[in-house]
Amino acid sequence: MRDVLAVLRTPEGAIGSGVLILMVAAALLAPVLAPGDPLAIVGRPLRLPLADPRFPLGTDRLGRDVLTGLLHGARSTLGTGAAVMAAALLLGGAVGTIAGYLGGAADEVLMRIADAVQTVPGFVLALAIVSVAGPTQPAILLALTAGAWTGPARVVRAEVMALRSRPFVDASRLLGRHPLAIAFGGVLPNALGPLLALAPIVVAGAMLSEAALTFLGLGDPNVATWGAMIAEGRAVLRTAPHVIVAPGLAVAVAVLAVSLLGEGMQRAAARRT
Amino acid sequence: MVVMRSTRRGFMAGTLAGAGALALPRLARAQAERRGGTLVVAADGEPRNLNPALIASNGVFYVASKVIEPLAEMVYGGDGLAPRLATAWEGSADGRSVRLTLREGVTWHDGRPFSSADVAWTAMNAWKPLQNLGRIVFRDLEAVDTPDARTAILRFSRPVPFQLVRNALPALSAVLPRHLYEGTDPNANPANARLVGTGPFRFAEHRPGEFYRLERNPAYWEANRPFLDAIVYRVMPDRGAIAAALEANQIQLAAFSAVPLADLERIGKVPGVKVIPEGYEGITYQLTVEINHRRRELADPRVRRAIAHAIDRDFVVDTIFLGYAKASNGPIPKFDAQFHVADLPGTPFDVRRANALLDEAGFPRGANGTRFALRLLPAPWFEQTRQFGDYLRQALRAVGIDAQVVNNDSAAHTRAVYTTHEFDLAVGSPVYRNDPAISTTILFQGGLPAGVPFSNQYGYDNPAMNAVIDRAAGAVDAAGRTAAYRAFQRIAAEDVPLVNVAEFTFITVARDSVRNVANNPRWATSHWADTWLAE
Repeated sequence: MRDVLAVLRTPEGAIGSGVLILMVAAALLAPVLAPGDPLAIVGRPLRLPLADPRFPLGTDRLGRDVLTGLLHGARSTLGTGAAVMAAALLLGGAVGTIAGYLGGAADEVLMRIADAVQTVPGFVLALAIVSVAGPTQPAILLALTAGAWTGPARVVRAEVMALRSRPFVDASRLLGRHPLAIAFGGVLPNALGPLLALAPIVVAGAMLSEAALTFLGLGDPNVATWGAMIAEGRAVLRTAPHVIVAPGLAVAVAVLAVSLLGEGMQRAAARRT
Repeated sequence: MVVMRSTRRGFMAGTLAGAGALALPRLARAQAERRGGTLVVAADGEPRNLNPALIASNGVFYVASKVIEPLAEMVYGGDGLAPRLATAWEGSADGRSVRLTLREGVTWHDGRPFSSADVAWTAMNAWKPLQNLGRIVFRDLEAVDTPDARTAILRFSRPVPFQLVRNALPALSAVLPRHLYEGTDPNANPANARLVGTGPFRFAEHRPGEFYRLERNPAYWEANRPFLDAIVYRVMPDRGAIAAALEANQIQLAAFSAVPLADLERIGKVPGVKVIPEGYEGITYQLTVEINHRRRELADPRVRRAIAHAIDRDFVVDTIFLGYAKASNGPIPKFDAQFHVADLPGTPFDVRRANALLDEAGFPRGANGTRFALRLLPAPWFEQTRQFGDYLRQALRAVGIDAQVVNNDSAAHTRAVYTTHEFDLAVGSPVYRNDPAISTTILFQGGLPAGVPFSNQYGYDNPAMNAVIDRAAGAVDAAGRTAAYRAFQRIAAEDVPLVNVAEFTFITVARDSVRNVANNPRWATSHWADTWLAE
């Protein structure tokens, strides 16, 4: 709790978390704020923002409400960011802990796998997986996680390697605890700080990649996404820029908020030490 | 440097045209044609094989039609055809032969004379066995006789309607130089990339990813043609860049709707730039909803009719095509007055009627308001086919059908619809090629093997429909043939095996300095010998 307050006390942390909380609230409340199918055609196409009180951000080429699309799209982008973060931290944490604590052959095998994954740029890996598996939500999560777990794994492994020769680990070992119990019960909790500091980077990367995938048409076409809105708006960039500017800003602000929160966390951590 | 100079001149002309928008065009028409100048146009793709005798497609024709000529070309008015390599064509009464009289004094770009042997070789070795469309039209071609160098006689093993052969001439009859192709594998011939033809322009250079350059053929058979010194096709995959390049006069013309429809209203107001919707009537595309009759619900004609009633064609034309399309009532477009039936019983937009039909067919709404769910596969060919998919999903929701959109790339889409039949509804865009027998009846004919792209893979098989298609295919006299195709449209309107939603062509955007644009119904894929650049 004290850590959370420390983060909020930094300006970056305060702004980042404030914006993020607003966005998460908007995403969660989307079905209440803008009920119904976000892809429904509800008005005349290409209404400008503020021209019609029913559509404060205007309508797109088919007459779908841009604001409704933004609110529902937030669910997809923020949800993907959070899910990929959870999956990548869990997987990366587990791999890093095992590799770092056990060392030897296990370390070699796991880290060479991580090396192999890291040689392929994350987005290219995601493109390949989604192209093969088809554009579904589980496939996108899998594809983004596949490229995101290696960073956390390396960080945790380094921490665990530094911790495993500490006296409290030796003590646990002498007490006869199972090595995995020591690794996950004793060592990992002490390595959580640096792992959590990675979280915002993973989230920001995943949100950008999700927007890029849906922009390229590799998202679920039955769900409103910011990337798909940007792709749609590209054709009318010169005549009705609001269609592309609104989701574009949303992506930028969301990623910026997460990055600021990350900065705040780092600064708070630096102050504490 | 030459291009730079013409750029500034073009800009001046553009400003002038803007100043005197009313007076100048009329004046310009009176102006004499000017020889010279390089026309720079946008190309949004680079076909690997440019041979129009093997691949009859618009992407190939766009470049190749200036180099390799067909026997005849479409024109507005008259009997619809203008002579090119052939000067006369005549069908025998029994439908077993077509006599072609060929033009005198034509030479290939490498200096060899053109003769009936070239026509005979190309017909038997390219059109009939290899060409995507020729395989259908020239299926029964048995031999080509060449009594002399100026005459070629196509001989068919079964009667083939002369009307069909005639309608096929513009798109299907590009002639190859026999002396370069004979004894080689036509598909692997180097001349497929470096074209040699008889046309007004010679193939000069292709730099992949940059441009194609064609240069004037000084030995062209028509005196004082062509007017242009060269045509450069700049490869520009980004559509936004094409619009900007037109405004900056870096290119003078963009065909095939390379400028997005949503940008046309704006760019049409830019001084010196004009939007030209004509010149594509001969290559009309049809927006269709393809229906998989293997689905229990869709096997019922009432359900298919309900789907047709659920679609607001005016919305499709006005919003998706921004007015650059026409609502469609059946499988033959309005442009083809020869065959089109205007008074077909249509399926006007009527949500109540659609709901009533679905109730009647025994598919009531469930607790959540949904009758049944379908997979909807919009073809990735055009921005409009994908957008129509989004619209159709909403339109079907209004009548209680839950359509889930599935997006695929080109290869996966073609496989899902035409080979494995893993779709319930699909959005397609077949081309109508001036005769129903070329690429239209195949969408309605039953009993075709799986895997034939752009054909009836819908599980629709009506003996009456098959019989009328057969009757038309064997009808040698034009009147009987026309009557059969009218009957064909009535059966299609009755059964609704697929839904024809709209027909659309393309838009050209050009600088005012480009003259004689869109003066025939296949202009973008014709020879451009009479196109010229004003100062």
